[in-house]
Amino acid sequence: MRLSRAWPAALLLVLVASPFFSFNPFYQRVAALVALAAISASAWNVIGGYAGQVSFGHSVYFGVGAYAALLVFTKLGLPPIAGAPLGILASLAISVIAGLPTFRLHGHYFSMATFAIAALAELLIINWNFAGGAIGMMGPATARSPADLLFRSALPYYAIFLAVLAVLLWLTHRMQRSRMGFYLRAIGAGERAAQSLGVPIRRYKLYALLLSGAFTALAGSLYAVMIGFIDPDSGFGVLISVNMVVMAALGGAGTLFGPLVGAVILVPLSEASNAILGGGSSGAAYVAYGVIIMLIARFCPGGLAEWWRVLTRTRRRRAA
Amino acid sequence: MILLQLITDGLLLGAVYALFSSGLTLIWGMMNVINFAHGDFVMLAMYVAFFAFTLLKLGPAVFVPLAAIVLFGFGVLVYAGLVRYVMRGPMLAQIISTFGLALVMQYTALWVFSANFVSLPNTLVGGVYDVGGIRVSAARLLAGATALALTLGMHLLLTRTDLGSRMLAVSEDRVAAALVGIRPDPMQALAWGLGAASTGVAGALIALFFYVSPGVGDAFTLIAFVTVCLGGFGSVPGALLAGLAIGVIESLSAYWLGPAIKDIAVYGLFVAVLWVRPQGLLGRA
Amino acid sequence: MLLEARGIVKAFGAFHAVAGADLLLEESELIGLIGPNGAGKSTFFNCLSGDARPTAGTIRFRGTEVTALPPAAHARLGLARTFQVPIVFDTMTVRENVMVGAFLRHPHRRAAAAKADEVLAFTGLAEQANLPATALGTPGRKRLEIARALATEPVLLLLDEALAGLPSAEVEAAIDLVRRIHESGVTLIVVEHIMEVIHRLTRRVLVFHQGRVIAEGTPAEVTADPAVITAYLGRRAHK
Repeated sequence: MRLSRAWPAALLLVLVASPFFSFNPFYQRVAALVALAAISASAWNVIGGYAGQVSFGHSVYFGVGAYAALLVFTKLGLPPIAGAPLGILASLAISVIAGLPTFRLHGHYFSMATFAIAALAELLIINWNFAGGAIGMMGPATARSPADLLFRSALPYYAIFLAVLAVLLWLTHRMQRSRMGFYLRAIGAGERAAQSLGVPIRRYKLYALLLSGAFTALAGSLYAVMIGFIDPDSGFGVLISVNMVVMAALGGAGTLFGPLVGAVILVPLSEASNAILGGGSSGAAYVAYGVIIMLIARFCPGGLAEWWRVLTRTRRRRAA
Repeated sequence: MILLQLITDGLLLGAVYALFSSGLTLIWGMMNVINFAHGDFVMLAMYVAFFAFTLLKLGPAVFVPLAAIVLFGFGVLVYAGLVRYVMRGPMLAQIISTFGLALVMQYTALWVFSANFVSLPNTLVGGVYDVGGIRVSAARLLAGATALALTLGMHLLLTRTDLGSRMLAVSEDRVAAALVGIRPDPMQALAWGLGAASTGVAGALIALFFYVSPGVGDAFTLIAFVTVCLGGFGSVPGALLAGLAIGVIESLSAYWLGPAIKDIAVYGLFVAVLWVRPQGLLGRA
Repeated sequence: MLLEARGIVKAFGAFHAVAGADLLLEESELIGLIGPNGAGKSTFFNCLSGDARPTAGTIRFRGTEVTALPPAAHARLGLARTFQVPIVFDTMTVRENVMVGAFLRHPHRRAAAAKADEVLAFTGLAEQANLPATALGTPGRKRLEIARALATEPVLLLLDEALAGLPSAEVEAAIDLVRRIHESGVTLIVVEHIMEVIHRLTRRVLVFHQGRVIAEGTPAEVTADPAVITAYLGRRAHK
């Protein structure tokens, strides 16, 4: 029992620290991207995993955060990171305005509606010429001040993303142990029963969405700060949402570290296949991605966390 | 006059929408699973039509039924290999499974066929009829009329035949159906086959007047969602009415608001309807 | 008066599942609600618990009008229920299931866990506390639903066929549990279609037929009532 907890913790620590001791820029860049993907997947997990509301619309939050960062730069000349609070504020407004009515829908209907809202948002952005239309926007080319957060190495980004991820996971951990965590899991497992036990469903779904959307928007801002470019596809594309859902589902939706594990596996995989197969234009990476999704759904619907649980349970039984 | 022209165009396109949407609504009605890859089924059928013509020199009289057969097999395969297992699993697995399928279909198409837009020669079903000032292209007329007939045919199959009543029995109550000797599994496989086959016909018909590309399916998935939602989940006559209505709305908004806005109008309508009447416009409360 | 339902109608289109039913309930009563399948018992039940909004009529619970309030508000006021087909939280352990109910009155984790353990002991589920809820069979799931409802510390508990489908050994244990719940001061409405259970548990019974209360009295009185006999037998004769 002790061992089964100590090992993954030690392994995680080594993994987390390793980019700081590596001089391979590719490795450092991938590590930063893993941490960033883990932020958005863990944020999605709050509403999609714990509360069981499978959203395919989280690209809207990500896009709003990313666009806010580059809008304050191109229109006001501020450092892009200054857009992050604005993106978060916008995400809260979106949760209330678009999220609340969507909560009337359940299961597949909810997923369909969020999918449609994301498609609608992408179309609107493509037609919004003020924000660069279909072409998108660039960030600062050279650092005007340290606040622009322009670094040649990926390491500082990795450190920043890691700090944000730590805060989010700590919040999720607190939530998981509190009434809110229990209520969200109850909502995910059976709304009707949850309601009969006095759980105010819409209110708790909204809390979860506010938290989830805010951190996804922050992830979007951080992405724009690091990459320095955003267009409708990389901000609002359907695949942005799909990435979050799949990482959480692979690692284990509704578990604390599931989305992180999913990101650790999938991001290096897609980066490596892009490097080998030559960019996204070939599409081979996404074919593999789709196959992975179907395999998860078919053979381990609870994600790797489920396998882990079975593994540790048998070991515990053997020890007893 | 222009108004009548736009409405006619919209109705003919809408009939095709109705046909592939009734495929989606059939699958949904049978087992409460949404197929996020539905538009990619349309895409697949369009490529079947395209290659049947360019490689084998087959005409629409052959490639439309061919697309139906290919898609029927594909639908049964998807059910037997994926959906059957996922259905009993948690909701998340149900929802992401067809999403994964959509990715595989789209990017395999991209890989194999490349991102180029291709299309059938528009002389394949050539000619334009002029009916009292309203111009109707033969290809669109053929597509619209065939789609309308097949949608009605599917409705009759479900409501008037023994097979249809067996399928409905399974959709009402799997356990009860099993008790009276109807095995649910073949019925559900059949629903996927028929749903995909009608989508196959629709795709082959659309290919007569619409370009083909690997990403063309996304828009069709959303149109099918809108149609099924407006028409009431599981209802074929609802899908027919809603499909026609959406064809007209698209045609009118493309004319008045511009082609870029037409999808915004349709998706916006969808979101609004879901918010106001979650059971669909024609669905029962 | 603890619960006062007057003139309850619930229509689905032209079909009236409940067609003008009344129910008056005093504190610490234990009453039965019986009737043939499709008599409207469950729909009436859903109206009382807030799961369905009546088409007409008013419901007052502890002096508050609750007719249009959502189920969560009913729970806060002290009305809990179980479901005919148990809905347990499959992703949680047995204790966690009960804790969801306990959090209603005990917002802090420790207090909720303590309350849950108390209820688990009372309902005889203490040994299964750490098992996943999926490990329970039907009798266990029904018991878990009762435990979860009790954890909300209800004044009134509605049991929807909590005993139906149980093997006979389990029925005895369940009857004992219902009695102990009643003795602890909780008012109960028990929906059942097993006459024998009703005989043994309750002193007052309401008989539902075609959406109406057609008889009311002691179990002995209603089973002798000709209207009740035709309601049950007439249905069987039609089959």
